[in-house]
Amino acid sequence: MSIASSPRTQAPEAPPTSKVEVIRRRREDRRVWLYVLPVSAVFLFVFIGPLFYTAWTALHETKYYQIGEFSGLNSFVELLSDPNLPNSIRTTLVFSLGALIIALPAGLLSAIVLNSLHRFKRSVRSLFLLTWLMSQATVGTIWLWFLNPNFGPATAITTSLGFGPTDVFSSPTTALLAVTLITAWWSYPQAMLLFLGALQTIPEELRESLKVDGGGLWHDFVNITLPFLRNTIVSVVVVLLMLYVQMVTIILVTTRGGPLRATETLSMRVFNQTFNDFNLSGASATAILLFTLNLVLTLAVIRFRRKESL
Amino acid sequence: MTTATATAASRRRRSRSVLPTISTWVYIAISALIVLPPVVWIVSTSLKPEADTIKFPPEWIPSPISFDNYIGLLTPTNIRFFVNSLIYAGGSIVLALAICIPAAYVATRYRSRRMETLMTGILVLSMVPAIVVFIALYSMFVKTALINTYPMLIVVYTAIICGQSILFLRNFIENISVGIEEAAAIDGCTRLQILWHIIIPLIRPGIAAIAIFIFVFVWNDYLVGTVLATTEDMKTVQNGIVRYITTGFGNFWGLFSAFIIVAFVPVLTIFVAFQRWFIAGLTSGGVKG
Repeated sequence: MSIASSPRTQAPEAPPTSKVEVIRRRREDRRVWLYVLPVSAVFLFVFIGPLFYTAWTALHETKYYQIGEFSGLNSFVELLSDPNLPNSIRTTLVFSLGALIIALPAGLLSAIVLNSLHRFKRSVRSLFLLTWLMSQATVGTIWLWFLNPNFGPATAITTSLGFGPTDVFSSPTTALLAVTLITAWWSYPQAMLLFLGALQTIPEELRESLKVDGGGLWHDFVNITLPFLRNTIVSVVVVLLMLYVQMVTIILVTTRGGPLRATETLSMRVFNQTFNDFNLSGASATAILLFTLNLVLTLAVIRFRRKESL
Repeated sequence: MTTATATAASRRRRSRSVLPTISTWVYIAISALIVLPPVVWIVSTSLKPEADTIKFPPEWIPSPISFDNYIGLLTPTNIRFFVNSLIYAGGSIVLALAICIPAAYVATRYRSRRMETLMTGILVLSMVPAIVVFIALYSMFVKTALINTYPMLIVVYTAIICGQSILFLRNFIENISVGIEEAAAIDGCTRLQILWHIIIPLIRPGIAAIAIFIFVFVWNDYLVGTVLATTEDMKTVQNGIVRYITTGFGNFWGLFSAFIIVAFVPVLTIFVAFQRWFIAGLTSGGVKG
């Protein structure tokens, strides 16, 4: 790597004492780069290489997995004029924001409830964390079985109430709704854990002082908890949005993006274009769009990490 | 929980303790009603004899209880899935620790602008959507001998969790006083000796949390096994679960449920045994699902 051999620019000041000199000399030492070399090599192989390859394939014709002639920005033009693209973006937005609107308050409430408990804390925490411990493949498939239109208990309940069987995955609207709810069900503990960490840093004196003023529960929440958690809320929003924008597994095991592309988010579209349509340059163009969207979120999350050293 | 005990437990909130306690437990009860049914249903299905799994209306409590589904899981293919996942998880833990600990160490102790840039780069890259990278890796290597091998998948898993692992380990190393290292340096310890004899023993809890986090991540991952393992004999436990749905014919629901339970046992065991470290690892970042 070029970093290892490049000369250092920061000139160290003249060291006054011997102890500091030892440390200074160590800072100058170029051999520290040997320690980050393996990580850099792995990232070059798994991230940087493939990203360049993606850009390269997006600029070329592809047939199956063979790269053909240079085609300029053709695949991007195709992507942007694809009548399915607005639908894909809309699905991504509905899915991500929908899951967020459920998981964020559920996570916050669960964290507050858990934080106020004095007994059975461990059991309740295990209950709240249970869905997050399960893999995405497990979560998708157990809901498939639970909602099974022929034998599932959900169907038994809805039929006994006079509605039909719960055939949610066969109609576009209900499929998207179901996938969104399942994703929120699985992911709300992630928000809870982040909130819980932040809640524990609220100083008790702050609460006590308001107690003397005689504020109610709601008063407490609005005046202490929410302002205190403002930064955390923003970073939880970004973390969850990144999780949802990248989500493939839950959608893949439940609907594969169907029916009628109703659950095909951008991530799912990349998967389907690669493995169903064998349209590699198309998939690469979509991947770059997805990458750009994700980069915006990443920069936001890093900004907030720095701010509160989360 | 009665209100009397709640009052005793939180004497500070004497006057307003009844209402919050009730609403708290109502919330917990509703959560249980939302979280538990699919889980109970899977446990119940896994304990039913084959014919009972598709009885309608369904029965929540299996009678008679049968363990045939669990015995039926013992096929060479299924065992292979478990062995593969163990190899991937074990390999990723070893490789990730071997490359992340040194990187986290120098990134914490030898700060320079260049090093910070590298670390930010690693963090940004590790947040690239996995699917973007996987399809590129797949199409790059589908024609070569690299795809479908243990080292390839282990390197990919490692790369995905590296960013978070380094970030997490840095927090631990920052808490160690530099004085110890200075003293050791004056006594003539090399940097590698300091790392090996001083830093690593001191950050053992952090290493444990990271190892647990990596195990659960790899064990629960479905996408890498789907895209980068192209033959059945290299697939993972999670692929094994979904395989029942996609290729199963006849009545496979009992076996499928038993498989899910068995696949969940390692994660649950680790969670129960090491709850504190487990949660520490989970909160370290957790951007990747």
